[in-house]
Amino acid sequence: MITINNRDQLEWTPGMTVRDLLTAMNFTYVLIMITVNGELVDDDDYDTFKILDNASVRAIHIHHGG
Amino acid sequence: MAKIDIFVNDQPVSVKEGTLLLKVLEAQKISVPTLCHHKDLKPEGSCRLCSVEVEVDEQREMVTSCNYPVREPIRVWTETETVIKHRRMLAEMLLGRWPNVPAIKKIARQCGVTESRFTSDLTDPNPKACILCTHCVRACAEFAQEHIIDFAGRGIKRHVAMPFEKVDPHCIGCTSCAYVCPTGALRIVDDLNNPVNPTLIRNHGMKVNAEMATLDAHQCRMREVGTANIVSVMNAYDLLPVMNYRFGTHEEVYKIDGGILKEKYFTQNMPDGCWKGCSMACAKTIDNFELRTGPYKGQLVTVDGPEYETAGGGSNMGLFDMDAIAEFNFYCDTYGIDTISGATCIAFVMEAYEAGIIDKTVTGGLDLHFGQSGSVLELLHQMSRGEGFGVDVGHGIRWLKKHWGETLNLTDEQKAFLQDIGMEVKGLEVSEYMCKESLAQQLGYGMAVKGPQHDEAWLIFMDMVNNEIPTYEDKAQALYYFPLWRTWFGLYGLCKLCWNDVTPADNKMTAEPQKVPDHVNNYFKFVEGMTGRKLNEEIMLNESARVHNLQRLMCLMLGKGRRNEDYMPYRGIGPVTKVEYESRQERYDKQLKEVLGIDPAGKTTEQKMALIREYREEQYDKTLDVVYKRRGWDPNGVPTVERLKELGIDMPELVAIVEEYKRSL
Ligand code: SF4
Ligand code: SF4
Ligand code: FES
Repeated sequence: MITINNRDQLEWTPGMTVRDLLTAMNFTYVLIMITVNGELVDDDDYDTFKILDNASVRAIHIHHGG
Repeated sequence: MAKIDIFVNDQPVSVKEGTLLLKVLEAQKISVPTLCHHKDLKPEGSCRLCSVEVEVDEQREMVTSCNYPVREPIRVWTETETVIKHRRMLAEMLLGRWPNVPAIKKIARQCGVTESRFTSDLTDPNPKACILCTHCVRACAEFAQEHIIDFAGRGIKRHVAMPFEKVDPHCIGCTSCAYVCPTGALRIVDDLNNPVNPTLIRNHGMKVNAEMATLDAHQCRMREVGTANIVSVMNAYDLLPVMNYRFGTHEEVYKIDGGILKEKYFTQNMPDGCWKGCSMACAKTIDNFELRTGPYKGQLVTVDGPEYETAGGGSNMGLFDMDAIAEFNFYCDTYGIDTISGATCIAFVMEAYEAGIIDKTVTGGLDLHFGQSGSVLELLHQMSRGEGFGVDVGHGIRWLKKHWGETLNLTDEQKAFLQDIGMEVKGLEVSEYMCKESLAQQLGYGMAVKGPQHDEAWLIFMDMVNNEIPTYEDKAQALYYFPLWRTWFGLYGLCKLCWNDVTPADNKMTAEPQKVPDHVNNYFKFVEGMTGRKLNEEIMLNESARVHNLQRLMCLMLGKGRRNEDYMPYRGIGPVTKVEYESRQERYDKQLKEVLGIDPAGKTTEQKMALIREYREEQYDKTLDVVYKRRGWDPNGVPTVERLKELGIDMPELVAIVEEYKRSL
């Protein structure tokens, strides 16, 4: 199980990447900053960065507009 | 993005697909001479100094590295005999023509050239000569989007010029061209308004120009579709107000989002600024739009917009029809009606109509079901003519609630329902965000001094999505900092959009990315450059707090500005109707179970709604207490004399207002 933003839970699947997580959470926003267990993931690595089970992920949406 | 394994000078390097080769070489600390390349401009590939040898499928060729994207496994050599010979030849030619220009001398040194065989009549000894690098021409096009300067003449007569070799009055004087000029051939001869330190202003302004030119297309697309880019974002996150804020998403959003505006509506195919020279240029227009109603029916007009708020107002009225929204936009502008207040008020009227609280005898025969675009437009025309039901609607939601309460034979339940669904605070209609799941945003709206406008605080992502401000204290701190920061722009008359509608590429690496620290600093440097006064966060917050507290005191003088004025209608806090609860049953049931520890099983929707309401209203109240405290206000939302002292605004006449209020308690 993965915890997102210290609150939401997502079932972990083997080989899960950051991109898979974004899709599962419907995080379609552009200005997102992802850390996995505190490590900042480069935008370009979303397809390849593997998330391990029990990871704590922060998906910080940097607001614009408003 | 896929990685590609390449070899650079026989060393293996892993590269993201599409990366420009020059960037790869720079990252490897390999020195490559360049002339036309500029880090903030699109690759040009015209000087050929950056050439290297590349082997693909056993074929070797020379390529210009600055505009060569790596798309396949290649082998690269940067120092072969052919490359060195080629570069030296170019360097000699450049040095022959411009022997004293430092930028050229540097290139020559880099290529191992100290003398040139090519001196001629063309040789220009001026150390600040134009070296035809193209930077200025591209900056004018890419930063300022103006295309004022370009090259004129051919071959040896090629030179930079404005049209017809005259000073073009369309030049906006943005100085982008001079900023990127590597030789000083372009000079700034005048600085309007006599700023104390124009260079400081320019250095920071140009950073934003560069970010707009290089990052906007991948970030907010302000140049392409303006603020309408967030229609689909709000819909995806359940934040788009649909049918008087009952819902946050709608399946027909694609009919009113940035995509359709770009594809079928926005004309001119160019970015447009609300002032000439803005590099963000988010204003958009629809030209030759044929009106279907009203005094200009049948005429072709230009519509200024629509922006996000107007499209969101459309969904709020159930209009998933861009023609109708564009016409609503045009007539609101023409009549001087705010599209937000107009749309939110009509959405309220529509819900009252659908709920049977008003009928056609009240609306003068207008069918005001959600989505009735003809009736919406007719209401606007009536408002402007001062006729019919439009006169009533023109007074706004607060007036309508009172008026209907007094003139229609309503039950207490109906009156309470109108209070719940009438989305106004302090008499102003709420702007177009559905904020039921963000407590901080509810307070951001409820506490905004001028009424529920999102420009004081937009905390929905931080709160609801990111869970960055989970405690009351966190929310209070956000509701301290952001309203003060965001209203600080207003004090200086500065646009907010270049704060967070583009963010620096390295913003993520900062300690507080939500604040966009680098851009906050741009504003401080702008003020410093104009006035000489140095700012920091504390000074900025205090400047803003002084005005904020004065405004609050003025409200108090007018008999307002107290706690009872700071509440959101319940529609902004939680589900008022069964249909809302049931549309997000999973969310609300989860809250009952996990937060309140109440098992929702076996309970009716009405019972569950009541429990959720009690909890959410209590949360609102508790947060209000903490925010007042953080702001230095008493539990009734009135600034304390101590706070006025702290801010240096404890003038006797202001203290007297607070003292008088205290006596009245
Ligand atoms: S000052 Fe600005 S608009 Fe004028 S020529 Fe230079 S870049 Fe273009
Ligand atoms: S004026 Fe300056 S920036 Fe423009 S082409 Fe000449 S050297 Fe380059
Ligand atoms: S730097 Fe001019 S062609 Fe690459």
